[in-house]
Amino acid sequence: MSFSRIDGFRIAGVSTCVPPTRVDNLDLGERYGAEDVRKVVSMAGVRHRHVVGDELTAVDLCTEAARRLLDQLGWAPESITGLIMVTQSPDHFLPSSACVVHAKLGLPVECAAFDMGLGCSGYPYGLYIAATMLKAGGQQRILMLHGETPSRFVHPDDHATSLLFGDAGSATALEASPAASPAPTTADAEPASFGLFTDGSGADGLIIRGGAFRDRSPADPRDLCVRMDGAGIFNFTIKRVPPLVNDTLAFAGLSVPDIDAYLFHQSNRFIMKHLMKKCGLSEDRVPFTIEDTGNCGGPSVAVTLTRALSERERDRPLRLMLLGYGVGLSWSSAIVMLPPDAVLLHGVCAQAPATATPDPSETKP
Amino acid sequence: MSQRTLTTQEALEMMADAFNEPLENLLPDTPRDSIPGWDSMGALMLIAELDERLGLELQAEVSREMKRVQHVLDFLAANGALAP
Repeated sequence: MSFSRIDGFRIAGVSTCVPPTRVDNLDLGERYGAEDVRKVVSMAGVRHRHVVGDELTAVDLCTEAARRLLDQLGWAPESITGLIMVTQSPDHFLPSSACVVHAKLGLPVECAAFDMGLGCSGYPYGLYIAATMLKAGGQQRILMLHGETPSRFVHPDDHATSLLFGDAGSATALEASPAASPAPTTADAEPASFGLFTDGSGADGLIIRGGAFRDRSPADPRDLCVRMDGAGIFNFTIKRVPPLVNDTLAFAGLSVPDIDAYLFHQSNRFIMKHLMKKCGLSEDRVPFTIEDTGNCGGPSVAVTLTRALSERERDRPLRLMLLGYGVGLSWSSAIVMLPPDAVLLHGVCAQAPATATPDPSETKP
Repeated sequence: MSQRTLTTQEALEMMADAFNEPLENLLPDTPRDSIPGWDSMGALMLIAELDERLGLELQAEVSREMKRVQHVLDFLAANGALAP
């Protein structure tokens, strides 16, 4: 059973951050060929991408997103009891990125902090873990961070990925709330529904083969970059995502019009439009942000949430379906309520890069 | 097996759409290499067209083995989607 229903928590706010460097794909015709660039822009839907370069990391983006969110919510760092960092772009193999962010944010020692190694499916997964921690008791406020810098994974000669990926970080603030009654009278009190799935047999479809401990120093340096079987990933997406949408709705006892917005991982506009058709979703309920921020991995769900919904009138709770799918292969869904007073922030990270962890070699005796 | 079928002409028109190629350039013997639009993105378009029009799943590895237009027609025939 991969579906579950969880109450006893609320989303207080979501904040997303992109790096200051903005690339216009149309400026890259000379390097990648005008026709390739035209196709990516017109079909994949990526015109602009924000990329980190060598200085910023997913930790920096998420830390900045979290700082802004805490500030806007008026939450003291000491009040945070849990920190989850969902990423496949860590600063280090160890320690975990969550521990690095924990220090940067000045969180208390009475705070659980750990990483989750998931990519495109990571946002619903992260919410699920945060929700279960809050439901279990003891936790009061959790920051769920999801950040990726896939532009650092790509090989410059790989047009398919170089022109597609951007970078982003996100922070989502969740807090414990009274459990919903068996028949909640307001949508705000409705339990969330989650669906979590995996097919590890497709792991080769999107992979960085080298650099970790299976092959520390690969003979082919290309193995330090991501390899993507685009057609294979598309097969997977067509096969898995429409049932994910339908089965999640059925599990929650809802139908397509009951959802105010379907927030897809912004994988590729062409693929998303195909999924919309197969699922019978109308364009007014499926926001697209890929044109301006590219495919920034799993955080694209949060980026779409903040960018698309902050512009929208929110005089009532919004019922959202969040959808992640990709590397793993892994796919996930969540139906959650967004309270009308939830803080939504999106901005450019202007944070100066800082050393993530003290380097003992620089410590003076 | 597909519940729907295409004539050969309709199948060629579908490929012309997928590859953004004039219909007159697509003959059964036309090699993939001579169709500029039958690249990685064109392959995705073909997968999408087959899924949408016929409910057929063209696996990536099968798609990669297709070297000429005839191979797409063969795939349709093998899946009961090409009208005799």
